[in-house]
Amino acid sequence: MDNKEVLLLKKALERQKKARIQAEQILEQKSKELYDVTRHLQGVNERLEYLLNEKASELDGVFINIIDPYVVMDLDFNVINMNASAKEFLGYDHTTASINLAALVHKDYVEYTAHSMKSLMEIGTLKNYRAKIMVKDGTEKFVQINSSLIYDKENNPIAAQGIIRDITKEWETKELLRQQKKQLDIIVENSPLGIVLTDRGRIIKTNSTFRTMMGYKEGELQQKCVKDISSPEDVENSASLMEEMNTGKLDNFTVVKKYVRKDRSEFLAKTAVSAFKNREGKVEYQVAMIEDITEQRSLELQKEKLLKELEHSNKGLQEYAHIVSHDLKSPLRSISALATWLSEDHKHVLNEQGVNNLVMMQEKIEAMDSLIDGVLKYSSIDIGSLEIGRIDLNAIVNNIREIIFVPEHVRIVMLNPLPEIQADHTRIHQLFQNIISNAVNHIEADKGLVTVSSKETATHWHFKIEDNGVGIPEEYHKKIFEVFQSLNSQQHSTGIGLSIVKKIVDLYEGEISLQSEVAKGTVFNFSIKKL
Amino acid sequence: MNILFIEDDAIESLKLHRTITKLGMRHKIQNAHNGEEALAMLNSSDQPPDLILLDLNMPRMNGIEFLEVLKQDEKLKYLPTIILTTSRNRADLLECFRIGIAGYIIKPLKYAEYESKLKRVLEYWEINELVKG
Repeated sequence: MDNKEVLLLKKALERQKKARIQAEQILEQKSKELYDVTRHLQGVNERLEYLLNEKASELDGVFINIIDPYVVMDLDFNVINMNASAKEFLGYDHTTASINLAALVHKDYVEYTAHSMKSLMEIGTLKNYRAKIMVKDGTEKFVQINSSLIYDKENNPIAAQGIIRDITKEWETKELLRQQKKQLDIIVENSPLGIVLTDRGRIIKTNSTFRTMMGYKEGELQQKCVKDISSPEDVENSASLMEEMNTGKLDNFTVVKKYVRKDRSEFLAKTAVSAFKNREGKVEYQVAMIEDITEQRSLELQKEKLLKELEHSNKGLQEYAHIVSHDLKSPLRSISALATWLSEDHKHVLNEQGVNNLVMMQEKIEAMDSLIDGVLKYSSIDIGSLEIGRIDLNAIVNNIREIIFVPEHVRIVMLNPLPEIQADHTRIHQLFQNIISNAVNHIEADKGLVTVSSKETATHWHFKIEDNGVGIPEEYHKKIFEVFQSLNSQQHSTGIGLSIVKKIVDLYEGEISLQSEVAKGTVFNFSIKKL
Repeated sequence: MNILFIEDDAIESLKLHRTITKLGMRHKIQNAHNGEEALAMLNSSDQPPDLILLDLNMPRMNGIEFLEVLKQDEKLKYLPTIILTTSRNRADLLECFRIGIAGYIIKPLKYAEYESKLKRVLEYWEINELVKG
């Protein structure tokens, strides 16, 4: 080895030494760094572990302290964990028995639940799942659940957690409201009246009755205003009434107005409008009830016309009866006068038979005169106007005692004080007079007695007039109330008296009947409806 | 008294005359057969009657129509007018009293009663102070 060579080797060695020192130095530095990092990492780790512990216990606290029922389940609905509130609500405890939540779902919600679960798996969260479930004691609960998935470190879903809210009460209230609304709708929709809800003239809601009346389909009326469907002649009046309602002067009003159908035809309707006010007393809506009165109105008009015609013809009839009776009575008066003069002026040339004939003639004239009177009275009963007033029947009977001929041996007695009634004086007087005079006229006993008594029921006054006269054979009991049925040929018996009685009793919606025995007497029972 | 008797029936007229004669009364009777005739008489005469006896049912102008005209006349309205009729029609009775009458007598069926009624009416009016002229 030469020097050069040795030198080269020495240099190389030198370089190697240097490099090694350098390397050692780097190594030393790196290992220090590594040590530091490790130390640092150790510290971080410790902190992390601490934090984790902290969070875990925090979570535990949260889990326990959640007031609402809280449940964690696996993806097959098996409960993994639940809080006390959940245990209480569901009635189950996962630590004592396994619980499958899907089994609690009401059958109506099974499909919905499956669908919701799918959505949870896809999105990771599920909001406002609402279903009916059956808890352990068998009661049905309506619940709302907000839920989210739990993932493992590889981000695979492994479980789901959810907070349950018991909305049974809320749901029941809603259900009740829904039912009530349904019932209300049934009433509104089936009402024979058209019903319209408006807000300051704008139509908000109508029922089907109204739409049918108007010939519109559902929804077609919603954009319209009341004046669009009212006849122009009525718009002004309705508007001014509506204004009074909106300013609070009126709470409700009723008008009869014309509406215009979709086909432009019109109909007359009675409309009752009421204001619906809010809490501040401001008018919020108007509710109108509409009744089609076209037919009713035409019937009313027809009735009015008929009534007028009837009134007219009644008046005419009464006039006619008076004229006929006058025209019949006048010549009777002349004949009577002439017959009287004949017997006065020619007494000396008339023999007994002649005088008798004239007397008989006068009797016939009298009979005819009272017949005409009777017919006039009979025909006036229902065509004359009734003048209703208070009538003291005691006074009536007393008056009758004075104006009819009562023989000395006959007494008219009231068995009880008679009532005061509401009726037409003339007709009631006629009624009592005809029966009483009929009784008085047919008494043949030595001591005649006619008694009058009364009784009251809820609807009628009942009267009884009894005599001890000749009586009426039974075969005539029905006939006696018919016109012109006289049982004997007494001159002042026209046969109209009792038919007038019957007609007056009919007029007062009463009944009349008689009991009678020949030679014993007669009882008339009749009633008059109270007014 | 001067009596204006407004009546279309001849026998009624006989009845009145006979009654006055029989009672020995000395009243002067003028007979008109309907309202129109009576008005013509009243308007043409210088001397109005003291009393009018008026029938209601008459041809041409009936009693009530006559009465209405009479009561609208400034002079004639003072004439006491007594209705003498067969009509018991209450409507007529009310209408007559409404317009203004001095009496409403229903003609009775029997002549004897007629006499006694007329006697009382005429005697009553005889003692009354009458609006002469």
